[in-house]
Amino acid sequence: MRSIARAELRAAIPGLAAALILAWATAGFAANSKIGMVKTVAGQAVIVRDGARLPAKVGDVVLEKDAIETGPDGTIGITLTDNTVMSAGPQSVLALTQYNFDSSNFNGTMLTDIRKGTLAVVSGDIARSSPNAMKVRTPTAILGVRGTRFTVQVNGER
Amino acid sequence: MRRIVLLSLVLAALTACTEPRQALVVVLPNPDGGSGAVTVTEGDKSVLLDQPYAATEVRGGAVAAVKLPSEQVQQIFGQALAARPILPSQFMLYFISDSDQLTPESQRQYRAVFEDIKRRPAYEVEVVGHTDTLGDRTYNQQLSLQRARAIRDQLVRDGLEARAISTAGRGALDLAVQTGDQVSEPRNRRVVITVR
Repeated sequence: MRSIARAELRAAIPGLAAALILAWATAGFAANSKIGMVKTVAGQAVIVRDGARLPAKVGDVVLEKDAIETGPDGTIGITLTDNTVMSAGPQSVLALTQYNFDSSNFNGTMLTDIRKGTLAVVSGDIARSSPNAMKVRTPTAILGVRGTRFTVQVNGER
Repeated sequence: MRRIVLLSLVLAALTACTEPRQALVVVLPNPDGGSGAVTVTEGDKSVLLDQPYAATEVRGGAVAAVKLPSEQVQQIFGQALAARPILPSQFMLYFISDSDQLTPESQRQYRAVFEDIKRRPAYEVEVVGHTDTLGDRTYNQQLSLQRARAIRDQLVRDGLEARAISTAGRGALDLAVQTGDQVSEPRNRRVVITVR
């Protein structure tokens, strides 16, 4: 009897381990990772995170899935961990929709949305890693970026 | 019949012109005067921008190349461009064999690294240490990390914030100059410092 219980327990161990790993991994994904830092702010600029609107300050950490908004006199500049540099002019709405970067081999992918306003970009390691790795999306078009400096303007609803 | 076709073509062209511009994309020159490339795709149509100041606009769901004078680029994007952070920079400092002491030349270069970090309002610094292939793997891993930490400690002594500086050691895994095993190579005994 006792030996059967022990055998059952032993059989359950892999399942239990898998469940623990899954729980740990899920917890890891729940918190979005740091992908960059706010380096310049003028006027009104906010980070929208999980529905909360946080006034942006120089030195603030930026996370994957954050949205960035600027007011009528606002601008903001952000540097990402792959050395991509982005800055937005007034009345802009951006979303850092997807980002992953491996700093040991400099590979990664990123997708940034610009819903309206102006955006200036100096691309970093991700855009160098492969031709389709860096994408910027406007409400109707999609940009594929290969190692360059560029600007995007989106005219929002008026 | 032909007249009607022509008329509708003209009308379509006119509508496209009067539709508001939905998006504008401009490729800017790199510091060397050249540029990389941006592909703008709308539906099944793509435009490749691979020259400095090449521009395209999306209007009425159609993507088309446009000419944009540089003063107009400045007018539309001036504020976004002015908000651009100081661009990241990268430095290499070199070490005396089997030590975490900088070579005399790198000691002088260190000052430039420090000044570059200090001018940034919110800095992040990554220091990654490396060794040449002389010595065994475990020892080199340790030595490379020790080199990175020596630089961090110096930056902190000079007044920078420790929590803004990360360190890592790569041993002889990422050689700057490829050599065989057990080769003394000054250019591989280094730290790579990325400043953002």
